[in-house]
Amino acid sequence: MALSDADVQKQINQMMAFIEQEANEKAEEIDARAEEEFAIEKGRLVNQHRLKIIEFYDRKEKQVELQKKIGASNLLNKSRIEVLKAQEQHIKNVLLETQQQLSVITQDRAAYSALLTKLISQGLCQFMERKVILRCREADYKLVEDALPSAVHQYQSLAKKDVTVIVDTENWLPAEICGGIELTAQNSRIKITNTLEARLEMLAHQMLPEIRRLLFGRNPNRKFDN
Amino acid sequence: MASQSQGVQQLLAAEKKAAEKVAEARKRKARRLKQAKDEAQTEIEKFRQEKEKSFKEYEARYLGSQDDVAAKIKNETFTKITEMNKQVATNKHKVIERVLAIVQDIKPELHYNVRV
Repeated sequence: MALSDADVQKQINQMMAFIEQEANEKAEEIDARAEEEFAIEKGRLVNQHRLKIIEFYDRKEKQVELQKKIGASNLLNKSRIEVLKAQEQHIKNVLLETQQQLSVITQDRAAYSALLTKLISQGLCQFMERKVILRCREADYKLVEDALPSAVHQYQSLAKKDVTVIVDTENWLPAEICGGIELTAQNSRIKITNTLEARLEMLAHQMLPEIRRLLFGRNPNRKFDN
Repeated sequence: MASQSQGVQQLLAAEKKAAEKVAEARKRKARRLKQAKDEAQTEIEKFRQEKEKSFKEYEARYLGSQDDVAAKIKNETFTKITEMNKQVATNKHKVIERVLAIVQDIKPELHYNVRV
């Protein structure tokens, strides 16, 4: 026979050792690969989620900034509106005061009389009617009667037409108003209100830019002044 | 013969042991990979906490500055309105005079299309 028992055992031991060695090597290989894959997988997961988190918080930060800008803009708008409202209130007050001072005009009888003449004459020029009815305050009746002829004369020289003016002594203008006259024609179908209040209202509206300029000074942001 | 089977048994045992070793290694690998997920999760969570913290700081800073802005605007508005009030007080009588003057400035005239 070939080998002795001892030789056989030696061979077997060799083979056993070989098997063991192979197994160890394989196990080592598996372990090494495990480490590699561990590192790769962990790194991949971490990076993937990192990116998502960074993106998420970047967006949140942008939102906060946007909110802040919106808030600041809103505050600025409110502030501007507040200033404008204050301006409007001032103008209203000034006009109210002006209205209250209208009565000053009527105190100087001579000046008021001249004013009445012009008021009547202006009304007649607007109308260009033959027959006109005039209303005034009861307190102004005398002045109006005195002013009427020169007013009519003024109209006639301008328009080269005649006119008959009748003062309505039944329907006076209310005594609370500050002054002025009212003209009607064609059976009360057309009316001209030339009272001081009416004039003030019309003028105030047209004069607003000038009033604003006088009260608040010229606006430096304004580019056109036509 | 007996020694042969003994030898074979020894070899079989060695094989078995070897297979076990390899199987163990594979089990370790699987565990390691699972570990990877867990550790990654922990790290991600840590990172998120950091980001959350710095975001909260950012937010607090911005809210604080917004209050400053609000106070500044309030002051400016107040100054503007006070200025305006002063201006109006100074210029008021001028305006009233002017308006009253225009009220009394009447020029009766015919319409520009009228032919006399």
